Amino acid sequence: MWIRNLTVIICVMVSLFSVSAVHADTPTDAAQVPGFRRDVMPIFFRAGCNSGTCHGSARGKDGFMLSLFGYDTKGDYERVVNEIVGRRVNVAVPEQSLLLLKATGSVPHTGGKLFNRDSEYYQTLLNWIAAGAPDDAGNVAATVEVVLSHERMLFERADAGESLKVTARDSDGAARDVTKLARFFSNNESVAKIDVDGRVTAVGPGDTHVFARFGRFTVGVEVIVLPPAADFVWPNPTPANFIDQLVFDRLQKLRIAPSEVCDDETFLRRITLDLVARPPTIDEYRSFIADTRANKRAVKIDQLLADDAFADYWTALWAEQLRVIGGNYAPVATDVKAADTFYQWIRKQMRSGRPLNEFVAEMVDASGSNLTNGPANLYTMLVHKPQFDPKAFAADFSQVFLGVQIQCAECHNHPFDRWSQDDYYGFVSFFTGMKRKPGVEPRERRIYCDTSAPPARHVVDGRPMPARVLGGVEPVPAGGDPRTALAQWLTSPANELFSRNLANRIWAQLLGRGVIEPVDDVRASNPPVNGPLLEALSQRLVDAKFDLRSLVRDICNSKVYQLSVQPNASNARDLRQFSHGHLRRLRADVLLDSVVVVTGVTRRFSGFPDGTRAIEYYPRESGDTEGPHFGDPFFATFGRSSRGTICACETKKEPTLSQALHLAVGDTVRDRLGSSGELQKLLTKDATPDAIIEELFIRSLCRRPTGEELAAMRVLVNDSGKDRTVYEDIFWSLLNSSEFGFNH
Amino acid sequence: MFSSTPSQKSPDRSGCSGFRSLLSRRQSIQAGVLGGLGLSLGDLLRMEGRADDTATQAFSAAGSTGKLIPKTLSVIQLHLGGGWPQQESLDPKPEAPVEYRGSFGVTKTRNGDVFSDNFPRTAAIADKVTVIRSLVGRIPDHQQATYHLFTGYTPTAVIDYPQMGAIVSHELGGRGELPPYIAIPNNHSFAGSTGFLSSTYAAFDLNADPGQKGFKVRDFSIPDGVSAERFERRRSAREIVEKQIRRLEADPTTLDTMDDFYKRAYTLLTSSQAQAAFTLDGETEEMMQLYGRDVVGLRGPDNRFHPKGLAERLILARRLVEAGTRFVTVTYGSWDSHVDVRGNCLDQMPALDHAIAGLVTDLAQRGLLDTTLFWVTTEFGRTPKVNSTNGRDHWARCYSNLLAGGGFAKGLIYGASDATAAEPARDAVPLEDLLFTIYHQLGIDADKELVAFGTRPIEIVKSGKLVKGLI
Repeated sequence: MWIRNLTVIICVMVSLFSVSAVHADTPTDAAQVPGFRRDVMPIFFRAGCNSGTCHGSARGKDGFMLSLFGYDTKGDYERVVNEIVGRRVNVAVPEQSLLLLKATGSVPHTGGKLFNRDSEYYQTLLNWIAAGAPDDAGNVAATVEVVLSHERMLFERADAGESLKVTARDSDGAARDVTKLARFFSNNESVAKIDVDGRVTAVGPGDTHVFARFGRFTVGVEVIVLPPAADFVWPNPTPANFIDQLVFDRLQKLRIAPSEVCDDETFLRRITLDLVARPPTIDEYRSFIADTRANKRAVKIDQLLADDAFADYWTALWAEQLRVIGGNYAPVATDVKAADTFYQWIRKQMRSGRPLNEFVAEMVDASGSNLTNGPANLYTMLVHKPQFDPKAFAADFSQVFLGVQIQCAECHNHPFDRWSQDDYYGFVSFFTGMKRKPGVEPRERRIYCDTSAPPARHVVDGRPMPARVLGGVEPVPAGGDPRTALAQWLTSPANELFSRNLANRIWAQLLGRGVIEPVDDVRASNPPVNGPLLEALSQRLVDAKFDLRSLVRDICNSKVYQLSVQPNASNARDLRQFSHGHLRRLRADVLLDSVVVVTGVTRRFSGFPDGTRAIEYYPRESGDTEGPHFGDPFFATFGRSSRGTICACETKKEPTLSQALHLAVGDTVRDRLGSSGELQKLLTKDATPDAIIEELFIRSLCRRPTGEELAAMRVLVNDSGKDRTVYEDIFWSLLNSSEFGFNH
Repeated sequence: MFSSTPSQKSPDRSGCSGFRSLLSRRQSIQAGVLGGLGLSLGDLLRMEGRADDTATQAFSAAGSTGKLIPKTLSVIQLHLGGGWPQQESLDPKPEAPVEYRGSFGVTKTRNGDVFSDNFPRTAAIADKVTVIRSLVGRIPDHQQATYHLFTGYTPTAVIDYPQMGAIVSHELGGRGELPPYIAIPNNHSFAGSTGFLSSTYAAFDLNADPGQKGFKVRDFSIPDGVSAERFERRRSAREIVEKQIRRLEADPTTLDTMDDFYKRAYTLLTSSQAQAAFTLDGETEEMMQLYGRDVVGLRGPDNRFHPKGLAERLILARRLVEAGTRFVTVTYGSWDSHVDVRGNCLDQMPALDHAIAGLVTDLAQRGLLDTTLFWVTTEFGRTPKVNSTNGRDHWARCYSNLLAGGGFAKGLIYGASDATAAEPARDAVPLEDLLFTIYHQLGIDADKELVAFGTRPIEIVKSGKLVKGLI
């Protein structure tokens, strides 16, 4: 079974010879002796011995532990050979080694039979044991790159297939075919499957990636399975800018036609909600609809970008992401005064259009009082703990500013990305010197970097790991505050991880879905659905000197952003390629502000002055600020981030039964239909029923009622004469409608 | 709030700082958060008997339907958060030295064993319950152990696992008009949620405590002044408005979900049966006494008896199960007794003893004990030796749970701990195995794989085994 292709084995053997020849100090017969790291460990990986469900679990399995996916080769050698001498590896009678008996199912094995006695895996292990199960002498060439035989696979029909070949390049320059030692997986098996030998089979139309894993590398290739060409006509839409160009290119390749651009009413509501976090007013509606200029959408976009509310909305988004919560438990440094200082500082940066890289750099490098220096509160708020915790902080920092989750690498090399434990501990060392000392008053903490603090130590061997940027080769220069170097590297235009993360998050905010989704889980095995698009967005941000408004302007002016939610035959199933608009649930705060704006009845937030909008609200607690806090109960029901973690998943987009109940009978809508507010003003204007209904529609939904709707509503009104309750009920129905609760 | 002064950072009578941070959070929830998760299209479809809808298919690994013949229909989980001491409850050690034994004596159970004398009423119905004295957890940390208990997995940075209630809701759906999974009063904030499953399988939080005066589920009744006719008119008006966006055929599943939420909301708001299930109306004084409504422990520093309300919470749980809810989680008390474990027990155990015995008796009288599993849980037990502050600390290596009904063997004491309740002496039951067995009784094969993130198969319980001796 396992030996399918003799030539592959020959290849392997040949490369084995050639590489071993490099080690001149090894005995002459070393050519035949497999190396532990080079040949034996990959078999543990391929057969799944060191996976998380088997011996790679944190406590091993059935008394035998291997490091997960082999991050600790030295330890693995000890456990295999020396932990129980003569048992797992029996050099006297190699065939009786438990390693071989278990793997071939000759003795009971929880993991079952993994390979045959006549397989090359067996032979390699046997040869190694027969040679005395030697540890590797000196430095072994490590794999530095894994390359696949294909860059892209394109299938015209289901059931078509092709085989993937995996090549590993070692640090000594040698290359070898490791297809038989790699593991494979597909990101979406309903598009394409991949079997244990690397054979890819098309399943159904769509695009996905399949991956090969070898050593600590995960490399992918894009697989596209096309729908039938026969029914497809590319409508050839004219791109408005580079975004359209790249999205349309992609769609055409996938045989998906984009929807039409949405109408003016829909556009006005969509852009107003997205940029200033509220629905358009009735005056805004009337003047926009009356405007006959060809460029009125672009003009509207510029007008909204200049509105303070745009800056306030992004302040809210950043404050949520940076977990701004105010408490009154002084020792944790997150007093309301500190939170407010931080919040106001963020708002100032957003209003003044501060370049985003400078905005971030100032926080990263900040020191001083939490009460007077806003940006220093990055070190009090991002991780709410009485003691500053460098590991938790480094993990959250990376996830927020790079979209990369490095915390996996605390215990083992990241299984699905390139991050190693060396990267992780080197990154943690940027923050091991961070301290918070008491200031002049109880609420105050002074944030500073203790430059004499030792770096983090590697969990496997206890090596000190000096501060090193992710993916960097050398540590940053010693001496002084390492954060200066970190801030420079992080926010440099050359750091694609940073600009791509920002661009992706901005895109996701406006389109409802990132080019990489989730936005804070960027990894090799979660590639962008449109790579060139993400590159271009990132480049545009860099070219615009990290100006938020420039990128937002381009996105909003694209046809892609303005596409209708109405699907066509070819794009109805597409959820990820931006071929049409989608219903996007309003964020909890935007929904609440919308109810307030539309009804004209304000909402009070405890601890904030009257007139505070929901987007300006952040939780102010009467204790410490650790743990999740929604603050106002409305936000818990409607899934605003509890700020318990920095995960993008904290913001819930799925509607729930509790939400329907609350809008139907809860106080938010109930208390806003009564005798104050816009409904009352409208009713006292002595307008006709039709005019009242029309205005309620425009206020709530930014559109006039259709003739059919007007007729149906008139029937309800006629039933009850001049009774105001009928208008309350119509208003209720508008505020409870899907059109109101979603941006579309 | 509990953690408002530095001096309270060390363990005190309300528990260690980790546990107190939970308390303050939960209080803030009880103080008026609407909270909120709900249920969705998937559940609703299943309620209507369309169990094989595509959502289910999407989450089921090919080749395994994971369905067994159910022995029980519903679960009432009573969670004693903080770490319930096994020595002072179901696994007393009367022959151990006093520093291990603690302050209490024993009481004989009906089936010839002994419980701590804090549990005379439970001992008297011990022929109806199953006690496990050899449960084995993993991590003596509140957050991680609670998550482990509720989801079957210890927390990881990468995958969030769904709660048992969410999985039951996902696998079985409801049995009537009510949500399949309900938390009284709220989902436990350390307990995870729906993990990689859609949040539509989440617990419907009452956000109100049945034990409090004037108990009323929030947003659960049509406002005064809105007549039935007007409510109907609102409904018609909404239907008129919905047509327009429907016409666009945009994201139909989202709109279906919204529609069904509104339908479900209308039903809950207008069905007298559903409304009644969420109240204590018609419960007799005798019933209240059976559950020990007026039983109190010690008078606290605030000169009040506390905590109360367990009787009402369990009665409500029983009503919900009767009305068709699958999984009800009830939380009670604060058991993190690092300081003065004796006081903690005297304070909370009398009401607990009454309520456990009351619910078991009540379920048996109603003939519901065969179709309902009552399960008393805690995230871990407590250290064998009493510490220098007369308390006991966290201990996950061996502790006790109580079960009743649901096809579990009646009158059974399963497993045993060693002389000081430190390690299992025989028949150790890893928590995973107990969860596996409960799923089995519900008719769910917990070896079944759910698919996370569309591609990643994950067993409901990882390497769990059926504990045949329990059933």
